[in-house]
Amino acid sequence: MSGIVVTGISPGMGRRLGQQAREWLPALVVFALAIAAWEGAIAAFHIQQFLLPKPSDIVKSCWEQRHTLWPAGWYTFKEALGGFVIGSLAGMAAATLIGRFKTLGAALMPIAIAANAIPIIAFAPIFNQWFDPLSPNSKMAIAAVLCFLPVMVNTLRGLQSASPRQVELMRSYAASSFTIWRRVRVPTALPYVFTALKVASVLAMIGAVVGEYFGGSYDALGVLIRSKAQILDFTTAWAGILVASLLGIALYAAVVACERLVVRWAPEARDS
Amino acid sequence: MSSAAAATLPTRRTFTAPLAAGTKRAAAVVCVLAALVGLYELYHWVWVSTGWTHPFVVDDTTMPHIWVILHALWQPAQVNQPALGTILFHKSLFTAKEAAVGFGLGAVIGFAIGVVLVHSRLLTRGFLPYIVASQTIPILAIAPMVVIWVNPKLPAGVQGWGSVAVIAAYLTFFPVAINTLRGLQSADPRALELMRTYAASRWTVLWKLRVPTSLPYVFAALKIAATASVVGAIIGELPSGLQDGLGGAILNFNQYYSIEPQELWATNIVAALLGIIFFVGVVAAEKAIVRRAPETVE
Repeated sequence: MSGIVVTGISPGMGRRLGQQAREWLPALVVFALAIAAWEGAIAAFHIQQFLLPKPSDIVKSCWEQRHTLWPAGWYTFKEALGGFVIGSLAGMAAATLIGRFKTLGAALMPIAIAANAIPIIAFAPIFNQWFDPLSPNSKMAIAAVLCFLPVMVNTLRGLQSASPRQVELMRSYAASSFTIWRRVRVPTALPYVFTALKVASVLAMIGAVVGEYFGGSYDALGVLIRSKAQILDFTTAWAGILVASLLGIALYAAVVACERLVVRWAPEARDS
Repeated sequence: MSSAAAATLPTRRTFTAPLAAGTKRAAAVVCVLAALVGLYELYHWVWVSTGWTHPFVVDDTTMPHIWVILHALWQPAQVNQPALGTILFHKSLFTAKEAAVGFGLGAVIGFAIGVVLVHSRLLTRGFLPYIVASQTIPILAIAPMVVIWVNPKLPAGVQGWGSVAVIAAYLTFFPVAINTLRGLQSADPRALELMRTYAASRWTVLWKLRVPTSLPYVFAALKIAATASVVGAIIGELPSGLQDGLGGAILNFNQYYSIEPQELWATNIVAALLGIIFFVGVVAAEKAIVRRAPETVE
Protein backbone atom coordinates (compact mmCIF):
# COMPACT_ATOMS: atom_id res chain seq x y z
CA MET A 1 0.00 0.00 0.00
CA SER A 2 2.12 2.81 -1.21
CA GLY A 3 -1.05 4.48 -1.46
CA ILE A 4 -2.18 6.43 1.53
CA VAL A 5 -0.10 9.10 0.01
CA VAL A 6 0.14 9.71 -3.66
CA THR A 7 3.06 11.68 -4.88
CA GLY A 8 2.01 14.61 -6.93
CA ILE A 9 4.92 14.18 -9.22
CA SER A 10 5.53 12.04 -12.23
CA PRO A 11 8.49 9.74 -12.38
CA GLY A 12 11.55 11.85 -12.78
CA MET A 13 9.78 15.15 -12.65
CA GLY A 14 11.77 16.36 -9.68
CA ARG A 15 15.02 15.54 -11.41
CA ARG A 16 13.92 17.11 -14.65
CA LEU A 17 12.99 20.32 -12.91
CA GLY A 18 16.44 21.80 -13.30
CA GLN A 19 17.07 20.38 -16.75
CA GLN A 20 16.43 21.90 -20.10
CA ALA A 21 13.56 24.25 -20.68
CA ARG A 22 12.77 22.03 -23.65
CA GLU A 23 11.11 19.66 -21.21
CA TRP A 24 8.77 22.41 -20.14
CA LEU A 25 7.92 23.60 -23.59
CA PRO A 26 4.85 21.35 -24.02
CA ALA A 27 3.50 22.56 -20.67
CA LEU A 28 3.96 26.17 -21.71
CA VAL A 29 2.26 25.53 -25.04
CA VAL A 30 -0.67 23.86 -23.28
CA PHE A 31 -0.87 26.81 -20.92
CA ALA A 32 -0.95 29.34 -23.75
CA LEU A 33 -3.51 27.30 -25.69
CA ALA A 34 -5.74 26.86 -22.63
CA ILE A 35 -5.72 30.57 -21.87
CA ALA A 36 -6.44 31.40 -25.49
CA ALA A 37 -9.27 28.85 -25.62
CA TRP A 38 -10.70 30.21 -22.37
CA GLU A 39 -10.67 33.79 -23.61
CA GLY A 40 -11.95 32.72 -27.01
CA ALA A 41 -14.78 30.59 -25.63
CA ILE A 42 -16.04 33.46 -23.52
CA ALA A 43 -16.04 35.75 -26.52
CA ALA A 44 -17.51 33.12 -28.86
CA PHE A 45 -20.28 31.73 -26.65
CA HIS A 46 -21.03 34.96 -24.77
CA ILE A 47 -20.56 33.28 -21.42
CA GLN A 48 -21.75 35.64 -18.77
CA GLN A 49 -19.04 37.41 -16.90
CA PHE A 50 -20.28 36.33 -13.50
CA LEU A 51 -20.09 32.65 -14.33
CA LEU A 52 -16.61 32.45 -15.71
CA PRO A 53 -14.57 35.61 -15.90
CA LYS A 54 -11.85 36.03 -18.49
CA PRO A 55 -8.39 35.03 -17.29
CA SER A 56 -7.13 38.47 -18.21
CA ASP A 57 -9.80 40.02 -15.97
CA ILE A 58 -8.87 37.69 -13.12
CA VAL A 59 -5.21 38.61 -13.37
CA LYS A 60 -6.16 42.28 -13.66
CA SER A 61 -8.33 42.03 -10.58
CA CYS A 62 -5.51 40.20 -8.82
CA TRP A 63 -3.28 43.19 -9.48
CA GLU A 64 -5.81 45.94 -8.86
CA GLN A 65 -6.91 44.50 -5.54
CA ARG A 66 -3.45 43.48 -4.44
CA HIS A 67 -3.76 45.54 -1.27
CA THR A 68 -6.62 43.39 0.00
CA LEU A 69 -5.94 40.07 -1.72
CA TRP A 70 -2.30 39.51 -0.87
CA PRO A 71 -2.49 40.47 2.82
CA ALA A 72 -5.50 38.15 3.08
CA GLY A 73 -3.55 35.44 1.31
CA TRP A 74 -0.59 35.97 3.61
CA TYR A 75 -2.88 35.75 6.66
CA THR A 76 -4.27 32.42 5.48
CA PHE A 77 -0.84 31.23 4.41
CA LYS A 78 0.49 31.79 7.94
CA GLU A 79 -2.35 29.68 9.32
CA ALA A 80 -1.59 26.94 6.81
CA LEU A 81 2.16 27.11 7.47
CA GLY A 82 1.68 26.95 11.24
CA GLY A 83 -0.65 23.98 10.90
CA PHE A 84 1.69 22.30 8.44
CA VAL A 85 4.69 22.63 10.77
CA ILE A 86 2.80 21.57 13.92
CA GLY A 87 0.96 18.68 12.25
CA SER A 88 4.01 17.35 10.40
CA LEU A 89 6.29 17.52 13.45
CA ALA A 90 3.65 15.81 15.58
CA GLY A 91 3.17 13.16 12.89
CA MET A 92 6.90 12.45 12.68
CA ALA A 93 7.23 12.39 16.47
CA ALA A 94 4.29 10.00 16.84
CA ALA A 95 5.68 7.72 14.13
CA THR A 96 9.13 7.69 15.77
CA LEU A 97 7.55 6.78 19.09
CA ILE A 98 5.30 4.10 17.62
CA GLY A 99 8.14 2.75 15.49
CA ARG A 100 10.08 1.95 18.67
CA PHE A 101 7.42 -0.57 19.70
CA LYS A 102 6.70 -3.11 16.99
CA THR A 103 3.49 -4.58 18.39
CA LEU A 104 2.07 -1.13 19.08
CA GLY A 105 2.86 -0.09 15.55
CA ALA A 106 1.29 -3.24 14.11
CA ALA A 107 -1.87 -2.66 16.15
CA LEU A 108 -2.11 1.05 15.40
CA MET A 109 -1.31 0.94 11.68
CA PRO A 110 -4.70 -0.35 10.42
CA ILE A 111 -6.45 2.10 12.71
CA ALA A 112 -4.33 4.99 11.53
CA ILE A 113 -5.12 4.04 7.94
CA ALA A 114 -8.84 3.83 8.71
CA ALA A 115 -8.66 7.15 10.56
CA ASN A 116 -7.14 8.59 7.41
CA ALA A 117 -10.46 7.79 5.73
CA ILE A 118 -12.32 10.15 8.05
CA PRO A 119 -13.37 13.38 6.35
CA ILE A 120 -11.56 15.55 8.88
CA ILE A 121 -12.73 18.72 7.19
CA ALA A 122 -16.16 17.95 8.63
CA PHE A 123 -14.67 18.60 12.05
CA ALA A 124 -13.66 22.15 11.11
CA PRO A 125 -16.70 23.70 12.88
CA ILE A 126 -15.73 21.95 16.13
CA PHE A 127 -12.22 23.37 15.93
CA ASN A 128 -13.78 26.76 15.37
CA GLN A 129 -15.76 26.27 18.56
CA TRP A 130 -12.72 25.10 20.51
CA PHE A 131 -10.54 27.96 19.53
CA ASP A 132 -12.02 31.33 18.84
CA PRO A 133 -13.39 31.21 15.27
CA LEU A 134 -11.86 34.62 14.63
CA SER A 135 -8.39 33.59 15.75
CA PRO A 136 -5.94 31.96 13.35
CA ASN A 137 -5.39 29.18 15.92
CA SER A 138 -8.59 27.37 14.94
CA LYS A 139 -7.48 27.12 11.30
CA MET A 140 -4.00 26.17 12.33
CA ALA A 141 -5.49 23.32 14.34
CA ILE A 142 -7.51 22.05 11.36
CA ALA A 143 -4.50 22.22 9.07
CA ALA A 144 -2.38 20.47 11.70
CA VAL A 145 -4.84 17.59 12.10
CA LEU A 146 -5.12 17.25 8.31
CA CYS A 147 -1.33 17.04 7.99
CA PHE A 148 -0.79 14.76 10.97
CA LEU A 149 -2.15 11.45 9.68
CA PRO A 150 -0.51 11.19 6.24
CA VAL A 151 2.84 12.26 7.70
CA MET A 152 2.55 9.80 10.57
CA VAL A 153 1.51 6.87 8.38
CA ASN A 154 4.22 7.48 5.80
CA THR A 155 6.96 8.15 8.35
CA LEU A 156 6.12 4.93 10.14
CA ARG A 157 6.13 3.05 6.86
CA GLY A 158 9.47 4.63 5.98
CA LEU A 159 11.05 3.76 9.33
CA GLN A 160 9.87 0.17 8.97
CA SER A 161 11.09 -0.18 5.40
CA ALA A 162 14.79 -0.26 6.31
CA SER A 163 16.42 -3.27 4.72
CA PRO A 164 16.85 -6.07 7.29
CA ARG A 165 20.25 -6.87 5.80
CA GLN A 166 21.48 -3.33 6.45
CA VAL A 167 20.16 -3.46 10.00
CA GLU A 168 21.85 -6.81 10.57
CA LEU A 169 25.10 -5.52 9.17
CA MET A 170 24.95 -2.58 11.57
CA ARG A 171 24.21 -4.97 14.43
CA SER A 172 27.17 -7.12 13.51
CA TYR A 173 29.31 -4.00 13.87
CA ALA A 174 27.82 -3.61 17.35
CA ALA A 175 26.09 -0.40 16.43
CA SER A 176 23.72 0.91 19.07
CA SER A 177 20.05 1.05 18.22
CA PHE A 178 20.31 4.83 18.15
CA THR A 179 23.09 4.61 15.58
CA ILE A 180 21.00 2.20 13.51
CA TRP A 181 18.09 4.60 13.75
CA ARG A 182 20.25 7.57 12.81
CA ARG A 183 22.30 5.91 10.04
CA VAL A 184 19.86 3.45 8.51
CA ARG A 185 16.25 4.03 9.47
CA VAL A 186 16.07 7.80 9.12
CA PRO A 187 17.84 7.91 5.73
CA THR A 188 15.52 5.19 4.44
CA ALA A 189 12.48 6.95 5.83
CA LEU A 190 13.22 10.43 4.51
CA PRO A 191 11.92 9.91 0.95
CA TYR A 192 8.68 8.55 2.43
CA VAL A 193 8.48 11.51 4.78
CA PHE A 194 8.92 13.97 1.97
CA THR A 195 6.23 12.27 -0.10
CA ALA A 196 3.87 12.80 2.82
CA LEU A 197 5.06 16.37 3.38
CA LYS A 198 4.23 17.23 -0.21
CA VAL A 199 0.70 15.97 0.25
CA ALA A 200 0.47 17.70 3.62
CA SER A 201 1.57 21.04 2.16
CA VAL A 202 -1.40 21.01 -0.20
CA LEU A 203 -3.77 19.79 2.52
CA ALA A 204 -2.65 22.53 4.91
CA MET A 205 -3.62 25.33 2.55
CA ILE A 206 -6.93 23.69 1.73
CA GLY A 207 -7.61 23.07 5.43
CA ALA A 208 -6.99 26.70 6.28
CA VAL A 209 -9.28 27.98 3.52
CA VAL A 210 -12.02 25.48 4.34
CA GLY A 211 -11.76 26.27 8.05
CA GLU A 212 -12.39 29.90 7.23
CA TYR A 213 -15.54 28.93 5.44
CA PHE A 214 -17.13 28.18 8.80
CA GLY A 215 -16.26 31.59 10.08
CA GLY A 216 -13.05 33.49 10.36
CA SER A 217 -11.42 36.85 10.54
CA TYR A 218 -12.27 39.35 7.81
CA ASP A 219 -8.56 39.52 7.06
CA ALA A 220 -8.61 35.92 5.83
CA LEU A 221 -8.61 34.75 2.24
CA GLY A 222 -11.31 32.08 2.65
CA VAL A 223 -13.72 34.60 4.14
CA LEU A 224 -12.91 37.04 1.35
CA ILE A 225 -13.54 34.47 -1.40
CA ARG A 226 -16.78 33.39 0.22
CA SER A 227 -18.15 36.89 0.72
CA LYS A 228 -17.19 37.94 -2.83
CA ALA A 229 -18.88 34.84 -4.27
CA GLN A 230 -22.00 35.63 -2.26
CA ILE A 231 -22.31 39.08 -3.78
CA LEU A 232 -21.63 37.49 -7.20
CA ASP A 233 -18.33 39.31 -7.61
CA PHE A 234 -16.83 36.25 -9.21
CA THR A 235 -13.88 38.02 -10.79
CA THR A 236 -12.52 38.91 -7.36
CA ALA A 237 -13.46 35.49 -6.02
CA TRP A 238 -11.46 33.84 -8.79
CA ALA A 239 -8.60 36.24 -8.15
CA GLY A 240 -8.69 35.08 -4.53
CA ILE A 241 -8.66 31.45 -5.66
CA LEU A 242 -5.66 32.24 -7.86
CA VAL A 243 -3.85 33.72 -4.86
CA ALA A 244 -4.71 30.68 -2.74
CA SER A 245 -3.47 28.31 -5.45
CA LEU A 246 -0.25 30.24 -5.97
CA LEU A 247 0.48 30.17 -2.24
CA GLY A 248 -0.34 26.46 -2.13
CA ILE A 249 2.01 25.81 -5.03
CA ALA A 250 4.68 27.94 -3.32
CA LEU A 251 4.48 25.81 -0.16
CA TYR A 252 4.58 22.65 -2.26
CA ALA A 253 7.58 23.93 -4.21
CA ALA A 254 9.35 24.80 -0.97
CA VAL A 255 8.91 21.21 0.22
CA VAL A 256 10.21 19.89 -3.12
CA ALA A 257 13.23 22.19 -2.85
CA CYS A 258 13.93 20.95 0.69
CA GLU A 259 13.62 17.38 -0.54
CA ARG A 260 16.18 17.99 -3.26
CA LEU A 261 18.55 19.51 -0.72
CA VAL A 262 18.09 16.83 1.92
CA VAL A 263 17.56 13.58 0.02
CA ARG A 264 20.67 13.85 -2.12
CA TRP A 265 21.80 10.29 -1.55
CA ALA A 266 18.74 8.59 -2.93
CA PRO A 267 18.24 9.74 -6.51
CA GLU A 268 15.88 6.88 -7.29
CA ALA A 269 13.78 7.73 -4.27
CA ARG A 270 12.94 11.12 -5.68
CA ASP A 271 11.03 9.48 -8.43
CA SER A 272 8.81 7.38 -6.25
CA MET B 1 5.88 -14.37 -12.12
CA SER B 2 4.76 -17.55 -10.45
CA SER B 3 1.18 -16.98 -11.31
CA ALA B 4 0.27 -20.65 -11.14
CA ALA B 5 1.52 -20.97 -7.59
CA ALA B 6 -0.14 -17.73 -6.59
CA ALA B 7 -3.41 -18.89 -8.04
CA THR B 8 -3.50 -22.17 -6.18
CA LEU B 9 -2.36 -20.79 -2.87
CA PRO B 10 -5.53 -19.03 -1.73
CA THR B 11 -7.75 -22.03 -2.46
CA ARG B 12 -5.59 -24.31 -0.38
CA ARG B 13 -5.69 -22.07 2.62
CA THR B 14 -8.34 -22.97 5.15
CA PHE B 15 -10.84 -20.40 6.25
CA THR B 16 -9.87 -20.54 9.89
CA ALA B 17 -6.62 -18.62 9.52
CA PRO B 18 -8.15 -15.46 8.02
CA LEU B 19 -11.04 -15.74 10.44
CA ALA B 20 -8.71 -15.81 13.42
CA ALA B 21 -6.77 -12.90 11.97
CA GLY B 22 -10.03 -11.04 11.48
CA THR B 23 -11.10 -11.60 15.07
CA LYS B 24 -7.70 -10.44 16.26
CA ARG B 25 -7.93 -7.32 14.16
CA ALA B 26 -11.47 -6.61 15.32
CA ALA B 27 -10.34 -7.01 18.93
CA ALA B 28 -7.46 -4.58 18.30
CA VAL B 29 -9.85 -2.07 16.75
CA VAL B 30 -12.23 -2.34 19.73
CA CYS B 31 -9.33 -1.94 22.16
CA VAL B 32 -7.99 1.15 20.41
CA LEU B 33 -11.47 2.66 20.11
CA ALA B 34 -12.02 2.08 23.82
CA ALA B 35 -8.63 3.61 24.53
CA LEU B 36 -9.49 6.67 22.41
CA VAL B 37 -12.83 7.14 24.18
CA GLY B 38 -11.06 6.70 27.50
CA LEU B 39 -8.42 9.29 26.55
CA TYR B 40 -11.12 11.72 25.45
CA GLU B 41 -13.02 11.37 28.72
CA LEU B 42 -9.81 11.45 30.75
CA TYR B 43 -8.75 14.66 29.01
CA HIS B 44 -12.19 16.10 29.66
CA TRP B 45 -12.04 15.12 33.34
CA VAL B 46 -8.48 16.33 33.96
CA TRP B 47 -9.00 19.66 32.23
CA VAL B 48 -12.33 20.32 33.94
CA SER B 49 -11.18 19.33 37.42
CA THR B 50 -7.96 21.31 37.25
CA GLY B 51 -9.53 24.23 35.47
CA TRP B 52 -6.88 24.33 32.75
CA THR B 53 -7.79 26.46 29.77
CA HIS B 54 -4.93 25.55 27.48
CA PRO B 55 -5.07 25.13 24.57
CA PHE B 56 -8.81 25.68 24.85
CA VAL B 57 -11.52 25.82 27.52
CA VAL B 58 -12.94 22.36 28.20
CA ASP B 59 -16.54 22.04 29.28
CA ASP B 60 -19.61 20.08 28.24
CA THR B 61 -20.07 22.36 25.24
CA THR B 62 -16.62 22.17 23.73
CA MET B 63 -16.22 18.45 24.52
CA PRO B 64 -19.57 16.80 25.19
CA HIS B 65 -19.41 13.41 26.90
CA ILE B 66 -19.33 10.44 24.54
CA TRP B 67 -22.52 9.02 26.04
CA VAL B 68 -24.29 12.34 25.52
CA ILE B 69 -23.28 12.25 21.83
CA LEU B 70 -24.40 8.64 21.40
CA HIS B 71 -27.60 9.31 23.32
CA ALA B 72 -28.37 12.22 20.97
CA LEU B 73 -28.62 9.76 18.10
CA TRP B 74 -31.73 8.24 19.70
CA GLN B 75 -33.29 11.58 20.52
CA PRO B 76 -35.28 13.68 18.05
CA ALA B 77 -33.30 16.79 17.07
CA GLN B 78 -36.50 18.78 16.95
CA VAL B 79 -39.92 18.21 18.43
CA ASN B 80 -42.18 15.88 16.42
CA GLN B 81 -39.35 14.58 14.27
CA PRO B 82 -37.79 11.16 13.97
CA ALA B 83 -34.67 10.41 16.00
CA LEU B 84 -31.48 12.21 15.01
CA GLY B 85 -29.93 8.88 14.10
CA THR B 86 -32.69 8.17 11.57
CA ILE B 87 -32.37 11.62 10.05
CA LEU B 88 -28.61 11.34 9.83
CA PHE B 89 -28.92 7.90 8.26
CA HIS B 90 -31.04 9.32 5.43
CA LYS B 91 -28.75 12.32 5.06
CA SER B 92 -25.71 10.07 4.85
CA LEU B 93 -27.43 7.98 2.17
CA PHE B 94 -27.88 11.18 0.16
CA THR B 95 -24.25 12.18 0.65
CA ALA B 96 -23.18 8.61 -0.14
CA LYS B 97 -25.06 8.83 -3.45
CA GLU B 98 -23.23 12.04 -4.38
CA ALA B 99 -19.91 10.62 -3.27
CA ALA B 100 -20.42 7.30 -5.08
CA VAL B 101 -21.38 8.96 -8.37
CA GLY B 102 -18.48 11.39 -8.01
CA PHE B 103 -16.15 8.52 -7.16
CA GLY B 104 -17.22 6.52 -10.22
CA LEU B 105 -16.98 9.54 -12.51
CA GLY B 106 -13.62 10.63 -11.13
CA ALA B 107 -12.17 7.12 -11.20
CA VAL B 108 -13.17 6.56 -14.83
CA ILE B 109 -11.85 9.98 -15.91
CA GLY B 110 -8.68 9.55 -13.90
CA PHE B 111 -8.06 6.10 -15.35
CA ALA B 112 -8.69 7.38 -18.88
CA ILE B 113 -6.24 10.25 -18.34
CA GLY B 114 -3.64 7.79 -17.09
CA VAL B 115 -4.15 5.54 -20.14
CA VAL B 116 -3.85 8.47 -22.56
CA LEU B 117 -0.81 9.97 -20.87
CA VAL B 118 1.14 6.70 -20.74
CA HIS B 119 1.03 6.56 -24.53
CA SER B 120 2.40 10.02 -25.13
CA ARG B 121 5.37 11.59 -23.44
CA LEU B 122 4.47 14.85 -25.13
CA LEU B 123 0.99 14.93 -23.59
CA THR B 124 2.44 13.90 -20.22
CA ARG B 125 4.87 16.78 -20.31
CA GLY B 126 2.17 19.15 -21.47
CA PHE B 127 -0.59 18.26 -19.05
CA LEU B 128 0.87 16.65 -15.96
CA PRO B 129 2.05 19.90 -14.34
CA TYR B 130 -1.51 21.23 -14.54
CA ILE B 131 -3.04 18.04 -13.21
CA VAL B 132 -0.72 18.41 -10.22
CA ALA B 133 -1.40 22.13 -9.90
CA SER B 134 -5.16 21.55 -10.08
CA GLN B 135 -5.01 19.94 -6.66
CA THR B 136 -3.65 23.04 -4.97
CA ILE B 137 -6.85 24.88 -5.82
CA PRO B 138 -9.01 25.02 -2.72
CA ILE B 139 -12.05 23.24 -4.10
CA LEU B 140 -14.40 24.70 -1.51
CA ALA B 141 -13.67 28.14 -2.88
CA ILE B 142 -14.71 27.07 -6.37
CA ALA B 143 -17.66 24.98 -5.25
CA PRO B 144 -20.21 27.84 -5.35
CA MET B 145 -19.15 28.68 -8.90
CA VAL B 146 -19.31 25.02 -9.93
CA VAL B 147 -22.79 24.69 -8.47
CA ILE B 148 -24.07 27.78 -10.26
CA TRP B 149 -22.30 26.78 -13.45
CA VAL B 150 -23.04 23.07 -13.66
CA ASN B 151 -26.52 22.94 -12.18
CA PRO B 152 -28.52 24.51 -15.05
CA LYS B 153 -26.81 22.18 -17.54
CA LEU B 154 -27.84 19.04 -15.71
CA PRO B 155 -31.05 17.10 -16.43
CA ALA B 156 -33.82 17.80 -13.94
CA GLY B 157 -33.43 14.50 -12.12
CA VAL B 158 -29.88 15.12 -10.96
CA GLN B 159 -30.01 18.87 -10.42
CA GLY B 160 -28.66 19.84 -7.06
CA TRP B 161 -26.83 16.73 -6.04
CA GLY B 162 -25.36 16.26 -9.53
CA SER B 163 -23.19 19.34 -9.19
CA VAL B 164 -21.98 18.10 -5.81
CA ALA B 165 -21.05 14.81 -7.47
CA VAL B 166 -18.99 16.81 -9.98
CA ILE B 167 -17.06 18.38 -7.10
CA ALA B 168 -16.52 14.93 -5.58
CA ALA B 169 -15.31 13.71 -8.98
CA TYR B 170 -12.86 16.62 -9.17
CA LEU B 171 -11.25 15.50 -5.91
CA THR B 172 -11.27 11.86 -7.04
CA PHE B 173 -9.71 11.99 -10.49
CA PHE B 174 -6.30 13.26 -9.44
CA PRO B 175 -4.92 10.42 -7.32
CA VAL B 176 -6.36 7.90 -9.78
CA ALA B 177 -4.81 9.62 -12.81
CA ILE B 178 -1.38 9.92 -11.19
CA ASN B 179 -1.29 6.38 -9.87
CA THR B 180 -2.72 4.85 -13.05
CA LEU B 181 0.06 6.55 -14.98
CA ARG B 182 2.67 5.26 -12.54
CA GLY B 183 1.14 1.80 -12.58
CA LEU B 184 0.94 1.57 -16.36
CA GLN B 185 4.54 2.76 -16.62
CA SER B 186 5.70 0.16 -14.14
CA ALA B 187 5.19 -2.72 -16.56
CA ASP B 188 8.30 -4.87 -16.80
CA PRO B 189 10.32 -3.67 -19.84
CA ARG B 190 11.25 -7.27 -20.64
CA ALA B 191 7.60 -8.24 -20.74
CA LEU B 192 6.92 -5.21 -22.95
CA GLU B 193 9.65 -6.27 -25.36
CA LEU B 194 8.37 -9.83 -25.39
CA MET B 195 4.91 -8.59 -26.27
CA ARG B 196 6.39 -6.47 -29.03
CA THR B 197 8.32 -9.38 -30.53
CA TYR B 198 4.99 -11.21 -30.79
CA ALA B 199 3.69 -8.16 -32.68
CA ALA B 200 1.10 -7.48 -30.04
CA SER B 201 -0.99 -4.42 -30.74
CA ARG B 202 -0.98 -1.45 -28.37
CA TRP B 203 -4.44 -2.47 -27.26
CA THR B 204 -3.31 -5.99 -26.37
CA VAL B 205 -0.25 -4.68 -24.52
CA LEU B 206 -2.50 -2.30 -22.62
CA TRP B 207 -5.07 -4.87 -21.50
CA LYS B 208 -2.91 -7.95 -21.12
CA LEU B 209 0.14 -6.36 -19.58
CA ARG B 210 -0.09 -2.75 -18.52
CA VAL B 211 -3.51 -2.75 -16.87
CA PRO B 212 -2.92 -5.89 -14.78
CA THR B 213 0.43 -4.46 -13.63
CA SER B 214 -1.17 -1.18 -12.75
CA LEU B 215 -4.01 -2.60 -10.65
CA PRO B 216 -2.27 -2.45 -7.26
CA TYR B 217 -1.33 1.17 -7.96
CA VAL B 218 -4.85 1.97 -9.11
CA PHE B 219 -6.35 0.49 -5.99
CA ALA B 220 -3.92 2.38 -3.79
CA ALA B 221 -5.25 5.52 -5.45
CA LEU B 222 -8.86 4.38 -5.23
CA LYS B 223 -8.47 4.06 -1.47
CA ILE B 224 -7.46 7.70 -1.26
CA ALA B 225 -10.14 8.63 -3.75
CA ALA B 226 -12.82 6.90 -1.67
CA THR B 227 -12.14 9.29 1.19
CA ALA B 228 -11.67 12.22 -1.12
CA SER B 229 -15.06 11.64 -2.73
CA VAL B 230 -16.79 11.74 0.66
CA VAL B 231 -14.88 14.90 1.56
CA GLY B 232 -15.85 16.39 -1.80
CA ALA B 233 -19.50 15.50 -1.34
CA ILE B 234 -19.65 17.06 2.13
CA ILE B 235 -17.72 20.15 1.08
CA GLY B 236 -19.74 20.51 -2.10
CA GLU B 237 -22.97 20.58 -0.15
CA LEU B 238 -21.86 23.52 1.95
CA PRO B 239 -22.18 26.29 -0.63
CA SER B 240 -24.88 24.58 -2.68
CA GLY B 241 -27.53 25.15 -0.05
CA LEU B 242 -28.60 21.50 -0.18
CA GLN B 243 -30.22 20.45 3.07
CA ASP B 244 -30.59 16.74 2.32
CA GLY B 245 -27.02 15.67 3.03
CA LEU B 246 -24.45 15.58 5.81
CA GLY B 247 -22.81 18.81 4.69
CA GLY B 248 -26.06 20.69 5.10
CA ALA B 249 -26.55 19.05 8.49
CA ILE B 250 -23.08 20.15 9.59
CA LEU B 251 -23.80 23.75 8.58
CA ASN B 252 -27.17 23.59 10.32
CA PHE B 253 -26.01 22.05 13.60
CA ASN B 254 -22.98 24.34 13.62
CA GLN B 255 -25.38 27.24 14.15
CA TYR B 256 -26.93 25.59 17.20
CA TYR B 257 -23.63 24.43 18.61
CA SER B 258 -23.74 26.48 21.79
CA ILE B 259 -27.07 24.90 22.78
CA GLU B 260 -26.82 21.41 21.34
CA PRO B 261 -23.17 20.57 20.70
CA GLN B 262 -23.80 16.83 20.74
CA GLU B 263 -25.77 17.05 17.49
CA LEU B 264 -22.81 18.39 15.52
CA TRP B 265 -20.58 15.77 17.12
CA ALA B 266 -23.05 13.02 16.26
CA THR B 267 -23.20 14.27 12.64
CA ASN B 268 -19.41 14.28 12.44
CA ILE B 269 -19.20 10.75 13.78
CA VAL B 270 -21.68 9.65 11.10
CA ALA B 271 -19.57 11.46 8.48
CA ALA B 272 -16.47 9.69 9.78
CA LEU B 273 -18.25 6.33 9.55
CA LEU B 274 -19.30 7.09 5.99
CA GLY B 275 -15.70 7.83 5.03
CA ILE B 276 -14.50 4.61 6.64
CA ILE B 277 -17.26 2.58 4.97
CA PHE B 278 -16.23 3.91 1.55
CA PHE B 279 -12.61 3.09 2.32
CA VAL B 280 -13.42 -0.42 3.53
CA GLY B 281 -15.55 -0.96 0.41
CA VAL B 282 -12.57 -0.24 -1.84
CA VAL B 283 -10.31 -2.44 0.29
CA ALA B 284 -12.83 -5.29 -0.10
CA ALA B 285 -12.98 -4.76 -3.86
CA GLU B 286 -9.19 -4.79 -3.99
CA LYS B 287 -9.04 -8.06 -2.06
CA ALA B 288 -11.52 -9.58 -4.51
CA ILE B 289 -9.88 -8.34 -7.72
CA VAL B 290 -6.13 -8.07 -7.09
CA ARG B 291 -5.95 -11.44 -5.37
CA ARG B 292 -3.62 -12.77 -8.00
CA ALA B 293 -1.34 -9.80 -8.41
CA PRO B 294 2.06 -11.40 -7.97
CA GLU B 295 3.84 -8.39 -6.59
CA THR B 296 1.68 -6.16 -4.47
CA VAL B 297 2.86 -2.62 -4.06
CA GLU B 298 3.92 -2.12 -0.51
